[in-house]
Amino acid sequence: MSTSSYFLPGTIDEAVSLAKAHPNDHVFYAGGTDIQLHVKQRLIKPNTIIDLTAIESLKSVSIQKKNMKLGTMVTLDQIVKNPDIQKFYPILAEAAKSIATPVIRKSATLGGNLKVSNRCSFYNQSFDWRQSVGSCLKDTGDICQVTGGLNHCYSRNVSDLVPALIALNARIMVQTSTGINEMPLIDLYVPDGLIVHTPLGVGGIITEIFTSDEPSKWWFKKLRLRKSLDFTSLTVAATVNKKDVLRVCVNGVSMAPVLVETGINDVTLEGLILQVKRACKTVDNDYMPLKYRREMISAFITDCWNTFH
Amino acid sequence: MQKVKLHINGFTRTLLVNAHETLLDTLRERLNLTGTKRGCDQGSCGSCTVLLDGTPVLSCITPTIRCDGRKILTIEGIGVNGHLHPVQERLASDGGLQCGFCTPGVVMTAVPFLQENPDATDDDIKEALSGNLCRCTGYKKIIEAVRHAAEDLRHG
Ligand SMILES: Cc1cc2nc3c(=O)[nH]c(=O)nc-3n(C[C@H](O)[C@H](O)[C@H](O)COP(=O)(O)OP(=O)(O)OC[C@H]3O[C@@H](n4cnc5c(N)ncnc54)[C@H](O)[C@@H]3O)c2cc1C
Ligand code: SF4
Ligand code: FES
Ligand code: FES
Repeated sequence: MSTSSYFLPGTIDEAVSLAKAHPNDHVFYAGGTDIQLHVKQRLIKPNTIIDLTAIESLKSVSIQKKNMKLGTMVTLDQIVKNPDIQKFYPILAEAAKSIATPVIRKSATLGGNLKVSNRCSFYNQSFDWRQSVGSCLKDTGDICQVTGGLNHCYSRNVSDLVPALIALNARIMVQTSTGINEMPLIDLYVPDGLIVHTPLGVGGIITEIFTSDEPSKWWFKKLRLRKSLDFTSLTVAATVNKKDVLRVCVNGVSMAPVLVETGINDVTLEGLILQVKRACKTVDNDYMPLKYRREMISAFITDCWNTFH
Repeated sequence: MQKVKLHINGFTRTLLVNAHETLLDTLRERLNLTGTKRGCDQGSCGSCTVLLDGTPVLSCITPTIRCDGRKILTIEGIGVNGHLHPVQERLASDGGLQCGFCTPGVVMTAVPFLQENPDATDDDIKEALSGNLCRCTGYKKIIEAVRHAAEDLRHG
């Protein structure tokens, strides 16, 4: 019988203190739609569950003119349906709408999506499946099943909100037991599945995300087999702002989101594709074939480029 | 273990649960409410959908401990005064079910959706039910049945 403890703090300070008291075995629970999959597949068994649902201050939505500030317990369903987000930041509403299913989006949160666990076809499998193939670095094994390497995990960052928010130049507020920090969202991610979210710090809570970089043009597309339920095999989000800065963010094909930021007139299509492909460490760990996914990076960026020009 | 009080289909049940017990396990294995189905058991098929304070959730990925003091409605409680709900009526009469395994999940997704969207189009219904997998019907009859139910509900 499990001996896990469950806490329902009412404030961020309380949640952060609980995490500090249980540094090695706690998990923050938001919608739970990602954590529970890992529990079910026996990939994690958290001993201390810190449920964030009672913290009202994490649920605020503020959009004043072009300034958008969202608490991290805002659900994806709220993002899809918010008329101000649809008006000023439609790329974010579109990205949220592409995630999971309408029912899951009622539980799934923004914060959980920023920290959704990286995916790999050798890791996100049932216990029996993993036993038969052999465990890997990210689990209890000692080699990567995809590359045979001993040090790095190439599991894919699969968040769909993250590329949209990075294309919007978003920043986050993080609270830990030592204080409150502000950072660009892109700095939250390290390109290695074993340490991908470490800049958050142990026991760090992302409290808020904000941007004021309203785009004049935007583009978003997600590659997957079915229009619902499936995680991404490639997501591209791009914006051009009022100062003609192009921001292209690619996710689902590397361990962390990849951003290329440049003046729209300072780059050619070929140069842009080359920069993105060089930065992506795409390996054969998705149900879609590697060659196809690599080709689709070029296809999506070409489509995006043609829309912007 | 922690004590939780669940208000299920108008009845109150008090149970001791551990932090990892899911609502689906509680309903099926401890309360014998087996109308809620276990399909994939990992958030990907919709057959375990129930209402938590009126909002549809997947009971297979909802820890019971989070439902303390809250209202849960399952397929056993969706009918009104001993009659099937109009969505159930239409699924049965219009060929919207074959083996019936996905049906409780379809009903528990469609009912709150039609409450919020009484004038839903076929495309809206398709999108709303896009997380409910059905291996038998090919979906067309389900969509039609839900549209007919919406018409029935509108005309009282
Ligand atoms: C069938 C299915 C399909 C899915 N499809 C997609 C998809 O297409 N794209 C996609 O991106 N995701 C998908 N998901 C995964 C998941 O539903 C979403 O990523 C969701 O947004 C996660 O949010 P959550 O609140 O449920 O996260 P949780 O499961 O509660 O948490 C996820 C992680 O974030 C951490 N966390 C949560 N909030 C905070 C915070 N404020 N500060 C610090 N850490 C925090 C948790 O500790 C945990 O590590 C899918 C899930 C299912 C079941
Ligand atoms: S990329 Fe390698 S180490 Fe990482 S999850 Fe996949 S198999 Fe495991
Ligand atoms: S059994 Fe819960 S979604 Fe499939
Ligand atoms: S009727 Fe058999 S699965 Fe839907």
